[in-house]
Amino acid sequence: MTALDEVNMDNEVSMNKGIWIEGPVKKGILEFFSGLLSSKKVEAVLMPAKNKSKDSYAWFLMGKDGLLESAEPFPPVMTTQGARALSYLTKKGTAWKKTAVVLRPCELRATIELAKIKQVDLNNLVLISFDCPGAYPLEKYFNEDQKELDEIFGACLSEQVELEGARAVCSICHRFTGRGADIEIGLMGGEAKGFWLIPGSGNGEELLEGVSGSKPDNLEAREKKIAEATIQREEKRNNTLDSFRETVMGPENLMNTLSSCINCHNCSRVCPICFCRECYFDSKALSSEADNMLQRAQRKHGLRLPPDLLLFHLGRMTHMSISCVSCGACEDACPANVPVSMLFSLAGRNTQAVFEYEPGRSIEEPVPYKVFRFEELKDFETPYTKEYAKEQ
Amino acid sequence: MDEKNDFTPSILYGLCNWCGTGGSETAGALHLQYAENIRPFRVPCTGAIDPVYILRALIEGADGFAVSGCHPGDCHFDQGNYRARRRVAVLKTLLDTFGLDTERVWLRWVGHGEGKRFADTVNEFNDHIKNMGKNPLSQRRDT
Repeated sequence: MTALDEVNMDNEVSMNKGIWIEGPVKKGILEFFSGLLSSKKVEAVLMPAKNKSKDSYAWFLMGKDGLLESAEPFPPVMTTQGARALSYLTKKGTAWKKTAVVLRPCELRATIELAKIKQVDLNNLVLISFDCPGAYPLEKYFNEDQKELDEIFGACLSEQVELEGARAVCSICHRFTGRGADIEIGLMGGEAKGFWLIPGSGNGEELLEGVSGSKPDNLEAREKKIAEATIQREEKRNNTLDSFRETVMGPENLMNTLSSCINCHNCSRVCPICFCRECYFDSKALSSEADNMLQRAQRKHGLRLPPDLLLFHLGRMTHMSISCVSCGACEDACPANVPVSMLFSLAGRNTQAVFEYEPGRSIEEPVPYKVFRFEELKDFETPYTKEYAKEQ
Repeated sequence: MDEKNDFTPSILYGLCNWCGTGGSETAGALHLQYAENIRPFRVPCTGAIDPVYILRALIEGADGFAVSGCHPGDCHFDQGNYRARRRVAVLKTLLDTFGLDTERVWLRWVGHGEGKRFADTVNEFNDHIKNMGKNPLSQRRDT
């Protein structure tokens, strides 16, 4: 099934169900939320808001108490991964107030992955996502003229073109729409200024009841545009990752790529998928006596300390690359400019392909590590073909 | 004897408590000889082998890592060997992605009674690793 067919299938469900709202996007969205809060359809909203010092964004759980004015549903950077923020809210149980959450598409996918491993409880949550043009690297945003960057981002958002100067993973993102959310904020394919609110589930439909706006007439054009862009972006993604792979192939290249790593483990701290309370790589299992280190140093003619650099990165890939949503939070957090997000996107693409799995595609699809089949993966076994005759 | 065959690889062999080790016992009972440079790594079930163990062995000095456990359907814990197979598949895919030697990791089921199969696997793997030569990853100080 091609991406086009998939989109067309979804199309039948969502066609002519959306609501078109004219006017500036951000203002319209915030009005929509205050409407929801006033009518008590939702009792809390979780979305990023601008910090008081106005130079960054943080996630806030807010009610109808004035915070909403400073809220920024479409921040130009990803400070904390939304799924991570959300898991703080619900990992110990259902939120007892109905809460609406605004997430980037990658954050939405990570949320779905986390729900599968019981780190997010989707009950009582309304997930809202939008067509994302990408995000700036945190470092760039903090060091360059923010006003100018904000303006460029705003223009890219409403015109739905790819963001220039976006992070490496954003420029190869192929799942850039809010499909799969309870409510999808449609920006792509709209003619004049304005946006669609498209329900993606019964839950979303309920919330959209009574919202005033015109019926959309060109949702079909939107679907077509998305399908085209998806195919284009998929190709770009594969090509970029393939050529990136060439530069990290083999022990020499791989170690050169990782050599600036300072073993801070920030990439796993900020990763939405790395949810373990105690990470194996931070645990006592890897700490050993001087004797052990000295022996290793003798064997390898020297030992880099802190040790286990390659083990950390490759090991983390075996643990979570299957669920990697390519959000790029790892690279934003890396102080040493290691292209972590590209490494993990590449690893993720290949490991996910083994199981034909796509993280965040559907909540119904179980994580491959939890599925077992009698007959599968024959290629990875070494067949016992004949009685082996030992070399003399 | 050429230089290549002079080298004695260090090989770890992950064996499950039930079938893999049983296979080695049967091989012993049948007086089958197999390479002596194999270090058995006994685990309760192949499902308990995290790919990180294999990676750590390969990075810190092993030239090869083989995994043997119960045949599909025979696992003492029902699904442990399927879990191992999925994990090894992920690990091998990753090694392949980054151009590290995929063939240094083998997965082959060995039943309790299959002493011959066990001895053959050990010898075949040993010769295979001998032909591949030293593991370049384990020689690097910057890992």
